[in-house]
Amino acid sequence: MKRYPEIKKQNLRMAVLLILGLVLALILMSLPLYTFEIGVYTKKSPNTFAGDEKYIAARAEAEAAADEYRAQGFDVEVSESVVERTNSKGKTTSLFTFTVNERNSKNFWSFLGKDLPSSKVLICILGLMAFSVIFMFLGLSGSLDLLHRYLEPRSRIFRNLVIACLMAAIILIPVFILLNNVTFSRKLSLYNAELITEGKEAFYSSMDAFLFNGTMGENIRDALSGLKIEHSALVWLILPAFFISLLAAFSLRRGEIQSSLLKTCLYFFVIVVCVITLYPYYVMLITAFRSNAESLDMYFLHMFPTKWIWSNLTDIIHRGVPRFLLNSLFIAGGATGLAMLCGIPAAYALARMNFRGKKIFLGYVIMSQMFSPVVLLIGISQLMTTLHLNNTLWGLMLINAAFNQAFAIWLLRGTFVSISPEMEQAALIDGCGTIGALTKVLIPMAAPGIVTALIFVFINAWNEYTVATILISTAQYRPITVGITQFSSFNMIEWQYMFAASLLATLPVVILFMFIEKHLTAGLTSGGVKG
Amino acid sequence: MTTGINRHKWEPYLWLLPSTLLVSVFVLFPILIVFKLSFSEISPAGVVGGFIGFDNYVEAINLPAFKAVMLNTLWWVLSVVIISTILGFIIALVLNQKFHGRKIARSILVFPWATSLVIQASVWNYIIKYEYGSLNNVLLNLGIIKQAINFRSSYQIEFIWECWVGIFVTVPFVTFCVLSGLQSIDVSLYEAATMDGAGFWHKLRHITLPLVKPSLTVSTVLNIIYVFNSFPIVYTMTKGAPAHKTDTMITYLYMLSFYERKKGPATALSVIGFLILCLCAGIYMMTVMRKEEQQ
Repeated sequence: MKRYPEIKKQNLRMAVLLILGLVLALILMSLPLYTFEIGVYTKKSPNTFAGDEKYIAARAEAEAAADEYRAQGFDVEVSESVVERTNSKGKTTSLFTFTVNERNSKNFWSFLGKDLPSSKVLICILGLMAFSVIFMFLGLSGSLDLLHRYLEPRSRIFRNLVIACLMAAIILIPVFILLNNVTFSRKLSLYNAELITEGKEAFYSSMDAFLFNGTMGENIRDALSGLKIEHSALVWLILPAFFISLLAAFSLRRGEIQSSLLKTCLYFFVIVVCVITLYPYYVMLITAFRSNAESLDMYFLHMFPTKWIWSNLTDIIHRGVPRFLLNSLFIAGGATGLAMLCGIPAAYALARMNFRGKKIFLGYVIMSQMFSPVVLLIGISQLMTTLHLNNTLWGLMLINAAFNQAFAIWLLRGTFVSISPEMEQAALIDGCGTIGALTKVLIPMAAPGIVTALIFVFINAWNEYTVATILISTAQYRPITVGITQFSSFNMIEWQYMFAASLLATLPVVILFMFIEKHLTAGLTSGGVKG
Repeated sequence: MTTGINRHKWEPYLWLLPSTLLVSVFVLFPILIVFKLSFSEISPAGVVGGFIGFDNYVEAINLPAFKAVMLNTLWWVLSVVIISTILGFIIALVLNQKFHGRKIARSILVFPWATSLVIQASVWNYIIKYEYGSLNNVLLNLGIIKQAINFRSSYQIEFIWECWVGIFVTVPFVTFCVLSGLQSIDVSLYEAATMDGAGFWHKLRHITLPLVKPSLTVSTVLNIIYVFNSFPIVYTMTKGAPAHKTDTMITYLYMLSFYERKKGPATALSVIGFLILCLCAGIYMMTVMRKEEQQ
């Protein structure tokens, strides 16, 4: 095992950088980043003009009050505001308000040991910082001058743990900052305006403890009514400080700073994309389990429902949802079966036989893939009326099968072509008929491709909406996609039921889709796919 | 590639028969019906009269909302296809890298593709509600905004939201198309380029882009067709209101024929839309066929 002095130097540099990043973060945390302005004294003076006697008297009164506070050692300042009014006689008068504000600066340490939600998060962050330093030392001890690939598994794990700790801390810092925003701007304003009342006492007493060390007691409501909070934008600088450390941690593991930088950015990008993608699903999930009042609550303050209302699910059972799901299952299942039944022979012929007009047929198939039924809606509804398939599940099934035929053939043909014909030839020589060769040899071998096509057609038919709105006029024949729209009417939308039903409709297809996600990339190259 | 044992000449056609029958009855017939109807007189009650030449087409083009709807359709298709192609391409480049959690990220990204468009549009409808919508709620709670924002203050903004939902559901398709192209690229090409001192942009321009181009073309043309045909997003979010100002061609012809009882111009619009699709389909077919020949 070769030991490298230059690796040692690089690793030492990175260790120092990691600690520097953390120290920078700690320094930022010690700055007075949060400023609270609390009105402790107010003097109102109506019918006053700037500079007149009344103004001077009121101002002096406020200054005197301020001096009193200063004598007690508080940092206060006097501010004035003016409101102009026109009285009943048409004369303009102005109302001066003098307030004495106490300025109260807090840094991160003030949050420690307080009864605030962000306090716990801060403790976690500090713990993670401590652990990352400990793990770093453990990961470097005895292997400071080794290349990554020669590392013992033990120190490799420790170096990975450093990264994990720092990443967790990076996720928790915005949580801390945003939780503070929730508490000090949103929650406080809603409680003060009496728009929400639940848990008010507890909230006020925790604010009292945080801002005044519990000295306000009964007066806390008045004291908080004029509270203004400013957080310095420097708060966000803590994040880059942690990124420096994370970068160093990556380099300790990989030994290369440029690729570490790329990696850090990559994770950041992927997380942002995933969060945006999951956001509507999160909304769907939590709304499905909220009460109607809560789903229409503009002052909702929680990540998740305060009470998970499972009865939403049982309620929609009585509103026809199981029937809709069964209809969808019938339509999608039938369409899939039919599409496969017609598609597999056609794909087989296209993959294995030569005949006149093969190219024309392929072109015909691809062309028919282009036409979503939407542009032909009028023709379809006319045809269905003629065939007496209007307002039946069968009609919808046939349409779905027909419009997915092209894709099924295209995908199946691709799969069949990729399988060598020798096995079938052997089977044919052994006396199997063509059908025997197809069912006993080719279909088992092409199973993954067939399953992919199957699931795809199923999902397309399951999610179909437009033709169903036209063909189905009776409520009991509706598929689920049309069924969920019954929860929204002109005067009221029952979001909780709509999303509970949507959840039931989405879950099975998303799971199915995740199964074929592996084959998706292979399937896509052999032909276009999308419903 | 023929197994060629005792085949009758007509045997392949027998194999193709069920499929041809299914497609002919339920795809080809409606096309013919729409064509026939577009040249016939149709009463508001839906009774089909005699041949009236191009009257339906003239009426369709002279409809007051026609121009706005066509412009909307153009904006809708262009913005959704272009933006989602760019985003999907970038995401595919990232997902092609090796990193922990790549499998999870790919599974998550497939979600919008698997979800029904009505459901997706309904959820976004709820998210951007002014009074109690989730987006306002979240932004207010996090102290990012001080006052609730009306995300649907005008029809233009509503249309932009519809485009956003369109982009949201289209990106996964592009991503996976491009990924399938990226995975077929030989890694040694990049290694050789790195040896020669090529930078990231150079490799992107001279290796990745040319080799991904076929997948990108297929996904773009297909997306033009799918986005053009997309109905549930606009219908669920605004129903074209106010006065067809947010309608695309597809929702407009739906409204015309099933709400306003103007079947005549609606069928004419169907045929126009059909011809536009044919044009796109022709381009698509040429690309695919060329690809087939290359293989």
